[in-house]
Amino acid sequence: MRGSGSRLSAGLIFLLLLMLLVLLFTLDLLLGSTQLEVRDVLLSLFGNGTEHGEIIVMQFRLPKAVTAILAGAGMAVSGLLMQTLFRNPLAGPDVLGVSSGAGLGVALTLLTLSPLLSISPGSVLYGWSMILAAWAGAGAVMVVIMTVAARMRDIMSVLIVGLLLASAISSIVSLLQYFSNETMLKTYVIWTMGNLGNLSYMQIRILTLAVTAGSAMALIMVKPLNALLMGETFSMSVGVNMQRTRILLLATASIMAGSVTAFCGPIAFLGVAVPHITRLVFSSNDHRILMPGAAICGALILLVSDILSTLPGNGLMVPVNTVTSLIGIPVVLWIIAGKKGIGRRF
Amino acid sequence: MRYLFLLLLTLVSFYSCNSRNKTDANSGQVEADVKITAGRFTLEGQDDITKLVIIDPWQNASGEQLTYYLVPHGKDVPENVPSENVIRIPVRRMICMSTTHLAALSALGATDIIAGASGTDLVYDHTLHKAIEEGIIPDVGYEGSLNKELIVSLRPDLLMAYGVGATSAEYLRKLSEMGVKVMFNADYLEEHPLARCEWIKIFGLLTGKKEKADSLYTAVTHNYLRLAEMVRKSSESKPAVLLGAPWEDVWYISPSNSYIGSLISDAGGRYLFDDLEAPNSMPYAVEAVFKRATTADLWINPGTAESLEDIAEYDHRLAKLPVYKSGDVWNNRNRMKPGGGNDYWESAVFRPDILLADFIYMIHPALLPDHEPYYFIRLR
Repeated sequence: MRGSGSRLSAGLIFLLLLMLLVLLFTLDLLLGSTQLEVRDVLLSLFGNGTEHGEIIVMQFRLPKAVTAILAGAGMAVSGLLMQTLFRNPLAGPDVLGVSSGAGLGVALTLLTLSPLLSISPGSVLYGWSMILAAWAGAGAVMVVIMTVAARMRDIMSVLIVGLLLASAISSIVSLLQYFSNETMLKTYVIWTMGNLGNLSYMQIRILTLAVTAGSAMALIMVKPLNALLMGETFSMSVGVNMQRTRILLLATASIMAGSVTAFCGPIAFLGVAVPHITRLVFSSNDHRILMPGAAICGALILLVSDILSTLPGNGLMVPVNTVTSLIGIPVVLWIIAGKKGIGRRF
Repeated sequence: MRYLFLLLLTLVSFYSCNSRNKTDANSGQVEADVKITAGRFTLEGQDDITKLVIIDPWQNASGEQLTYYLVPHGKDVPENVPSENVIRIPVRRMICMSTTHLAALSALGATDIIAGASGTDLVYDHTLHKAIEEGIIPDVGYEGSLNKELIVSLRPDLLMAYGVGATSAEYLRKLSEMGVKVMFNADYLEEHPLARCEWIKIFGLLTGKKEKADSLYTAVTHNYLRLAEMVRKSSESKPAVLLGAPWEDVWYISPSNSYIGSLISDAGGRYLFDDLEAPNSMPYAVEAVFKRATTADLWINPGTAESLEDIAEYDHRLAKLPVYKSGDVWNNRNRMKPGGGNDYWESAVFRPDILLADFIYMIHPALLPDHEPYYFIRLR
């Protein structure tokens, strides 16, 4: 690995990134889609603001900023796990079909069940039924993938099965969309654009639990992950139980990505792009650095995206997914065009 | 970063300058900048033959014109008229793609010519509903999944369509190729309820009930303008009106130069987004709408909510609005058929006078104390 000199600089980078995180978090609270004085925001945070200022800060901005951090970190760590497990630079939570599985759950609820049960935006069942459906969809896909992973020796086969499953699910979703009416279609399309601002504190608590549990699992797994970079044969020779590692990694990644997708919709691109950005920033392959690094970078990027999504001004907004993709795509292009080939890192 | 911002800005706020109606000093307006006469079609009659031009038939269209010649059965078509643009009147079999088209035929007592319809599960009208259940009016499918073979086999004289965008024209082109006459109805793009109601004149011409359509339009217009005049003379304060409900964390805001924006101002209300002028609804952050909504005096059409509790369950933050607490929240769900149809989207289009009376009752109850809300219900 690296000498102590680069360790030190890694520590410095962490410090800088954490400072940046605090700065962006504060900015996200200060810059909303409405104008609020800095003083009002600060007073509201400590419970001394005006009634409406307090609602805007505590019920709109704070949950949104916290969700951005959780979702960004969750997707990034989940993507890093997938890239290392499959030793593929283009892997991410979505290649396993977790996002499309969640999408299928939502589409089934919205487009087929809700007309029958008269669940519509505004009705009591709506919020939770969407989340549970997304979870169930992501979970079902995860079970299929893990069954395949337990039976197949070659990890590439698992990747291919995941991709095929994702395509098949997308086709089913298309079919459902094709036969649904405009209102339901619009609700589904808006769901696919991702949203950070609609979570209650109770939902944030559940998301926090999923992301911290996943991150803790990921941290426990850094040693086998580092070994995996040297190849599966090498890993087995140093005593890594491949079968168990695979299953654990898949479960961890799916729980995190599935939960984020259930609550926020499919957050595009973070899972693939952030691990690369993290490797570049730290110029390291050590998962002890990459894991927390990816979590912070993911949180940072989603915070920036959230701030940018209100940029048109006058209260107008763009979906957060369009922003993450517009940031993410140039980054990936830059990596591909860069001098260091990404293949060498796997 | 600046380029990214510009790109985002253009993505969100593009709109064509042409689709807004120009102010016309002679058109007898209720409000200064919205025409009360139909701006999306013109009629020109000569010798029993009517030339109908539909202007910009779908959203964001500019400079598009569709010309139809309405020629009575048995009358020779003039040489300079292309035969594909000719529609023989009265139309004997019509397929309607929108419930508002059904409502027009229903208002004229011409439902017997309906050969098929789209979205039959959303029909409110009881007579039509019965005909649908008995299979007399078959469902021809939705936009993307249109049953083209069924449409052709129904041998319609005319298919009345509406275009959401230029792509709609594309999928209907195939039907034209198969010999089905397609007419685009742009009533939903009119910015004033009276302009929208004026489309009944086209249905009158098509069904041979021109006089009935004209008298209906004249009577409704007369009632509407009388009510609007009463409001203008009497009311002083203008209560602020909040409209609609969010989808997830986006709140699509209707512009002030819209059908519903016109109703609010004619009823003596002040629309919370009276500064927004756009060809269609714009996506706002819920936070931004919330801040404005704190000053709202009443709230109309909160999505599909049927009770105050529905709103709070969907987004608990909305329950903190003063207007929610005051309970002055109304939705257009007074005339609903279990399982779908809402008369607000049907007959109301051709009864803007009743609609305006409802709005006046909600905004200035003292002006119409005896009015019984027809389309609206107060949420509890």
